[in-house]
Amino acid sequence: MAFTIGPAGDTAMRLSFQEPPSPRLTRLLLQLQRTAQDYFFNALSDSVVGYATLTLFFTPLSLQRDQVAAWLEKTARSLSDSQETHAAHSKETVVLPVFYDPAVAPDLVTLADDLGMTIDTLTTLHSATPYFAYATGFAPGFCYLGTLDPRLKTPRLSTPRQRVPAGAVAIADQQTAVYPCESPGGWRIIGACPVTLFDLAATPVSRLAVGDSVRFEAIDEQTYRSLGGQL
Amino acid sequence: MRTLTLDKAGLASTIQDGGRLGTLHAGIAAAGAMDPLALKAGQHCLGHHAGEAAIEIAYGNVRATPSHDCALVVTGAPAMLLIDNESVPMRSIQTLSAGQTLTIGPPSEGIYSYLHVSGGFNTHPIFNSRSTSPREGIGGLHGGYLRDQDTVPLGDCAPPIDTDGADPGLCSIEQRDVLTLRYVPGYQYDELAPALIQRLNGDHFEVTSKANRMGITLNGPALKTGVESLLSEATCQGAIQIPLDGNPIVLMKDRQTMGGYPIPGAVIESDCVRLAQARPGQKIRFAACTPQEADNIKWLEHHYVETRLR
Repeated sequence: MAFTIGPAGDTAMRLSFQEPPSPRLTRLLLQLQRTAQDYFFNALSDSVVGYATLTLFFTPLSLQRDQVAAWLEKTARSLSDSQETHAAHSKETVVLPVFYDPAVAPDLVTLADDLGMTIDTLTTLHSATPYFAYATGFAPGFCYLGTLDPRLKTPRLSTPRQRVPAGAVAIADQQTAVYPCESPGGWRIIGACPVTLFDLAATPVSRLAVGDSVRFEAIDEQTYRSLGGQL
Repeated sequence: MRTLTLDKAGLASTIQDGGRLGTLHAGIAAAGAMDPLALKAGQHCLGHHAGEAAIEIAYGNVRATPSHDCALVVTGAPAMLLIDNESVPMRSIQTLSAGQTLTIGPPSEGIYSYLHVSGGFNTHPIFNSRSTSPREGIGGLHGGYLRDQDTVPLGDCAPPIDTDGADPGLCSIEQRDVLTLRYVPGYQYDELAPALIQRLNGDHFEVTSKANRMGITLNGPALKTGVESLLSEATCQGAIQIPLDGNPIVLMKDRQTMGGYPIPGAVIESDCVRLAQARPGQKIRFAACTPQEADNIKWLEHHYVETRLR
């Protein structure tokens, strides 16, 4: 697999694969990340997996840039050339309950209309297949899940909302996500998930991690309420 | 418990220390003082260790009263200081008695001033840092900007590190017609049109009022990339992010950890500090530097700061 290695400012190095995102690529990036953490240990201040990138954060006071670049080059080459599947550990699928209802989903009715389908079809399509967690970021605990059924592909709102409530289940392009905390956001809201996804008191703080498999399960109002969901 | 009450909290005051390490992968910003040199200078004066927090104040206008006598120092953007009605200097240790009022006026230059109080601020650390990231509602007193009448708990005055209390003279505010920001090319640098890179390197930009702890938007020749979004990936400190409208945003301490806009490179840390203290209207010029030059600058600055703090 082809890749490039370059600086990300004076605080990080960045490895970028010239390859479309796929679970296989993400597993390779995760394996690289783990290997880097083991190898550089405390000298790395952080490492972040993107759709097709791995960014290693450090300072020249702790690590030499050329050393990081050379290690990345060698390790990425050997890992990507190896024939092993990169399923380091097969995780269980995380099942997230979702209340799909216009009462908690302001975009549900118009979106079904725009896509020329019923709300039932829309929510059935959304909850039919498991998704893969490609990246975390944007906001604490926010996890980019893909890939959405092409029939649900939809642009972002032209004007993002100032306030999206915690638990909002939303879609944009061919991605879906649950907003873990209240934040601004431009994705279209199609449901609400009563499960807490980000909790500073929990370990780990985030319920979802890159590489996870996530499936949504439709629940009714009573179940939503009993799980702590609010209308 | 010793406390400090903010009778007036100012426009955008937050509790900040050096920031968090190792939380980016969870989507949590590093946060930390926008002007780490001013933070260090105050810690040095009071004999605080490097993890102690201060109140970061944007554009002054703060009034504070302590519950007990305390020593304090204000660093960063130079502002008029009053204890009750008596004018006192910045960057020197002052004693504020219980019930007296410290007033920090608007700064004459720069943006961020830092109020350090002996013993530090004793708020609950999150991931080993007291830094506030208001967008995320994490850290500080209550996760957000400090509000009028907030009462901040003070630390119990751990024995200070023995320093002479003198101002180390670290300064990140530069009076220049055009501020040069050195940046390391990277990310999509090679994929962007040569004409765009030429404009980035050759033209002048201006700091706009769309500037905060997340990022600083610049105005100049529109850098039209025609790219709406890319695959999301980690952003870094100083990343020059170019949204569709062509006005670059230099990402700062509270930046979103992931981004999907084209980035031709990232401003080096020490110039991010100068940019953080630059006011709207300040002219900016970008200058590309090699990663090796950037590393050398960092070593030199590190050495310089360590020498001043000795």
